[in-house]
Amino acid sequence: MSTITISSVEKVYGEDTVALDDVSLTIDDGEFVILLGPSGAGKSTLLRLLNGLERPTEGTIEIGDETVSDTRPDVAMVFQMHNLVESASAYRNALTGALNRTSTVPSLATWYGEEAERMALEALDTVGLLSEADQRADSMSGGQQQRVGIARALTQDPTLLLADEPVASLDPKASEDVMGYLRTAADERDLTTVTSLHQVNVAREFGERFVGLRDGEVVFDGSAEDLTMEAVEEIYYDTEAETAESMPDPASNDRARSVATPEEGP
Amino acid sequence: MATGTNTDEDRPDVEQAREVLWRRRWLRRSLYGALLLSVVGLTYFVFLEFLGFSFAQLTSERATTEMQKFIGGLFPPNFEDMTTYTKENEITGIDALVVSLTSWELGLLWGVIPGIWPTHIMDTLATANAGNGNVMVSAAYTTVAAGFAGTVLGFPLALVFGVLGSERVVPFPLNFLFRGTMSTIRAIPAIVWTLIYIPIFGITPATGVLAITTDTVGNLGRLFTDELEEIEDGPIEAVRSTGAGRVQVVVFGMLSQVTNSFVAWTLYILEINTRIAITLGVLGVGGLGMYIENQIGLLDTGYQNAMAGIFMVIFIVLTIELISSRIRARLRPGETESSTLLGALFGLFDPNKWLGRL
Repeated sequence: MSTITISSVEKVYGEDTVALDDVSLTIDDGEFVILLGPSGAGKSTLLRLLNGLERPTEGTIEIGDETVSDTRPDVAMVFQMHNLVESASAYRNALTGALNRTSTVPSLATWYGEEAERMALEALDTVGLLSEADQRADSMSGGQQQRVGIARALTQDPTLLLADEPVASLDPKASEDVMGYLRTAADERDLTTVTSLHQVNVAREFGERFVGLRDGEVVFDGSAEDLTMEAVEEIYYDTEAETAESMPDPASNDRARSVATPEEGP
Repeated sequence: MATGTNTDEDRPDVEQAREVLWRRRWLRRSLYGALLLSVVGLTYFVFLEFLGFSFAQLTSERATTEMQKFIGGLFPPNFEDMTTYTKENEITGIDALVVSLTSWELGLLWGVIPGIWPTHIMDTLATANAGNGNVMVSAAYTTVAAGFAGTVLGFPLALVFGVLGSERVVPFPLNFLFRGTMSTIRAIPAIVWTLIYIPIFGITPATGVLAITTDTVGNLGRLFTDELEEIEDGPIEAVRSTGAGRVQVVVFGMLSQVTNSFVAWTLYILEINTRIAITLGVLGVGGLGMYIENQIGLLDTGYQNAMAGIFMVIFIVLTIELISSRIRARLRPGETESSTLLGALFGLFDPNKWLGRL
């Protein structure tokens, strides 16, 4: 139902900042795709285009048979910095996922209806936060906040779940937790999922299909077995064109060591 | 230290950088010093000279003895006008205060709120007349009521102007329509607004309420706008990404981020409005300000009554400030698990929490 077809998409910011350059991909219903690539490779841009937060400069993105032209209820997004309303409870935050199904006036009175309330609580249950539902978001740990972010996305009742570096600001343990919940949620609800990730080792553990982006182009597309050390190097370092300018010390052992954490979180 | 053996000659770049930074810092300091000197000079030699303010006169013997005489005349404060009871029975001095506070009974405050209240204060409030500023408790009631009502009436308008004045909600040139209105309102002090509104309600407390309402729109609205300029983009984008409508994005993405600070700023403005209500009383619109003004006007005989009025002002303002600051402190994130307005209100009844985080 929600096969995603990305056809020759190009995204240019401002005059000449090319974020995506002729990207074509097909993502099947129910796939769990992880986007890899260095900062500025275009991972976030691709996710934002899929979400309809931005439009491509060239090319089209279709979800099912529909061209993405705006944000839509069936596409949900989990953000790197959680983007929760800090002073509101986990439950209230999760409920905002139901806004698109609620007409303006009842929503202003925070009257979302029984179904939405039940869905928000189910979503919180999926991420293991049912008993913390009434807790303020800013009193929660980073990992918990991100799980609320996932719950909000699930309350939206999406068919496509997007996640932009969902664990980049978390410690390794919390990263594993959050990715685990994300994967479980996707499996339980049979969601097509596209997430970008920094940590290659975490990606290997949770991903099915990996797409590597560099300089706005797809440079890798394959399964966990295909994602060899060489492939990772290929994604993160342009082995041919790399010069001393961008790599002050191109000694090969240094490079191998930094592969595990090729980028830093904010 | 690993670099301990390095001498200056080994590190010419470091020495050079240090010198450059030192020179810049010196330049900055001299500039600030010159600025400070000119500010002080301008104030002392030009402005104070022009205004006839002299430190010699301030500390002169005449000034000191006159002031001592005046202050001496204020004491002991006379609480004769505290309640209608003390006034009618001509109980004077501190005794009047003691009498007013020592007899308690079960009853309805303002004829509405049940509880055990000080009898004479309750009786005075029951028969209070806003236009009559001769009894302190009823004057204090007028002041508090005017400050409170003005804040409540001003709040919705401040909210509308504040939200529409924010560039985040209304695009650039249009939002200045609302910002400009608020700036104009702020340019005119509440005391002048009172004079402007006299044709509507006359010299009455109602005019004071209207002036405070207007002032609130300008000041509180501005605080709302500023607060909205500083919100984070993340939650807005998150709400937008769900496919929510424009109004929903404003309410859930933006306003929900600032509810607590809006409540906090409103309480702060309530404090200020209570003080403004006292000031406006001096114009004769009623309340404690009018009481003090009237008593001082009676010269010697009224000084001790005026002093009692000043004590009343201090008590009222400090009480409002204490309540407001306690609620505001509890709205701050992280201080308590339930940092909501309701939680903060309940917390007020828990003396353990008065000193903050215990």
